[in-house]
Amino acid sequence: MINAYAGIAPRSDLLLLQRLGQRLEGRSFLHINSTSKGGGVAEILHRMLPILRSLGVRTRWEVLEGDDPFFDMTKKLHNALQGSAETFTEAMWEHHREINERNAAALDLEADAVLIHDPQPMPLVEHRGGGKWIWRCHIDLANPHPGVFERLAGYAARYDAAVFSVSKFARHMPMPEFIITPSIDPLSEKNIPLPDEEVRAVLERLGIPPDRPMILQVSRFDRFKDPIGVIGAFRMVRRYNDCCLVLAGSPATDDPEGAAVLEEVQEAAAGDPDIHIRLLPPFSDREINALQRAAAVVLQKSLKEGFGLTVAEALWKGKPVIGGAVGGIPLQIVHGATGYLVHSVEGTAFRIRQLLNDPEAARRVGEAGREFVRRHFLITRQARDYLAIWHSLEHPGEAILEV
Amino acid sequence: MPTAFGFMQCATLLKATGVSARTLAELRSCVETVPGDSIFHHTAQYFLKGRVSDYTNDFAQWAGESLEERALSERLSSVDPYAASAMEAVRADLLRVLDEHLAGFPPPREALEGDAFHFNTPVTFVYPAGLRAANLAEFLVALEHLPPESIYFHFYEARVRLRGGMDDFSRWVEGSLEKGGLAGRIRSIDPFMHGVEGVRRLLVAAVREELDRDMGEALG
Repeated sequence: MINAYAGIAPRSDLLLLQRLGQRLEGRSFLHINSTSKGGGVAEILHRMLPILRSLGVRTRWEVLEGDDPFFDMTKKLHNALQGSAETFTEAMWEHHREINERNAAALDLEADAVLIHDPQPMPLVEHRGGGKWIWRCHIDLANPHPGVFERLAGYAARYDAAVFSVSKFARHMPMPEFIITPSIDPLSEKNIPLPDEEVRAVLERLGIPPDRPMILQVSRFDRFKDPIGVIGAFRMVRRYNDCCLVLAGSPATDDPEGAAVLEEVQEAAAGDPDIHIRLLPPFSDREINALQRAAAVVLQKSLKEGFGLTVAEALWKGKPVIGGAVGGIPLQIVHGATGYLVHSVEGTAFRIRQLLNDPEAARRVGEAGREFVRRHFLITRQARDYLAIWHSLEHPGEAILEV
Repeated sequence: MPTAFGFMQCATLLKATGVSARTLAELRSCVETVPGDSIFHHTAQYFLKGRVSDYTNDFAQWAGESLEERALSERLSSVDPYAASAMEAVRADLLRVLDEHLAGFPPPREALEGDAFHFNTPVTFVYPAGLRAANLAEFLVALEHLPPESIYFHFYEARVRLRGGMDDFSRWVEGSLEKGGLAGRIRSIDPFMHGVEGVRRLLVAAVREELDRDMGEALG
């Protein structure tokens, strides 16, 4: 499996993966999260497990089973940990704990290393065995709604380590906290090279003109992605350059505001034949891949963002990307080198014009972006980091480890 | 018989310290108190990250990009972690630059929300690159194919490991191959002005020139 990444991922990552794999061969590694499909965590686990297994690490993935009240509560918990005001009753906290207890009784939690993803399965740590237990927090914990994290702090303290995606998402806790950025899989449907005919066929099927420079934003219809701002920037650009705009995203079933935002966007674009709003069904990975490959400029003009992996996806396709300077986007876009960071609608329009008018600069930025993603944001580096944390926890206090 | 050069490389795993700064005064206060490992990571290990800008350390980059303090970022970029005798000397250099800037310039604005400087410490993994060189020709081939992390390890990080501003390559060329001239030319490459790929190009050019000279001399 790991051989499939030779010639794509950096050799240094593959070599360290192999050497760490040799150290951990035959040992057991358990991942637990709360869904087997949908969402970035499940997506990356599906791809990462075969890599870890191919190294001889006995890797398992268990999924927490819960009922509707549990998932309603953990959805609120997810939002509250990222700052939204939510109310929790004692009964809700008790149910969170009970569901975890029921799962603990049903699951085999024995492993040499256990990686618990996000807050839903966090209480399982109360049933921990002798291996290393690591809490992998995929969300921004820097500014939780007051009082909410405190209810989880007792669980957190029982872990051997925590992992955050970005330094600024971390919350100071008593155990070691590692920073591991998320990643994309260059061999997944969303990122593999596509034949030109397939790209053209997707454009045709979606009714998008293949012969005009396309400005693209792929995202949920969410105010934090600023789709109205994107339309504003596009209208400024079109006064100077011939181009079209594509806003593509899946309907967010778990977001009650999604429908209202989509309506606002459709209204803002009404009557404009150059703006194409496309709702794609979930798992439209090849279509998104094709749209990114067909784009002249890709936007991720977010006002608030998690890590924003759509940026890495577009950079991987060698596209010039303009992103809002929020969340994890500045880690992927080094302003002026691997893309452009913007803070306003006018700034976005200016950078689009710059890139459309200077294809050579656009190509240069896109190429630098692709190499930056290759070195920092591929799945092999993330798998390497998980094994590195495990190995490091077994050598506490050592800042330099020869492997 | 010269000793073969076994190429190594390194990778880092980052640990959060929980310390962060949003203003220049806060940065100064944190630089004074964070562990030396953190100063090492944010200065000496900057080139391991695949440098794509003109800055030479994380502090300079933050001052330039997040505080938009160009004068300060230039001065911070001149702090040399490789020439210093210890990380404490690097810390003292950083503090001197920050203090002089704070005393001589109006205070800059604070960094925007979400753009604070977060101090990390590294766990460094050192491992073989899978290549060895027993002579200059093999050394040239290896240089052309080495991962950037290996060039970093031997050309940049070695200066901290060995102190005295010496890299592993020139030390081997001089000690094992007895080529003092080439060692001198390798030592004259400024590590700050090129980035890892730039350093590779210059190393390759210097070694190729030496090989051409050797072959010319052999042919009479």
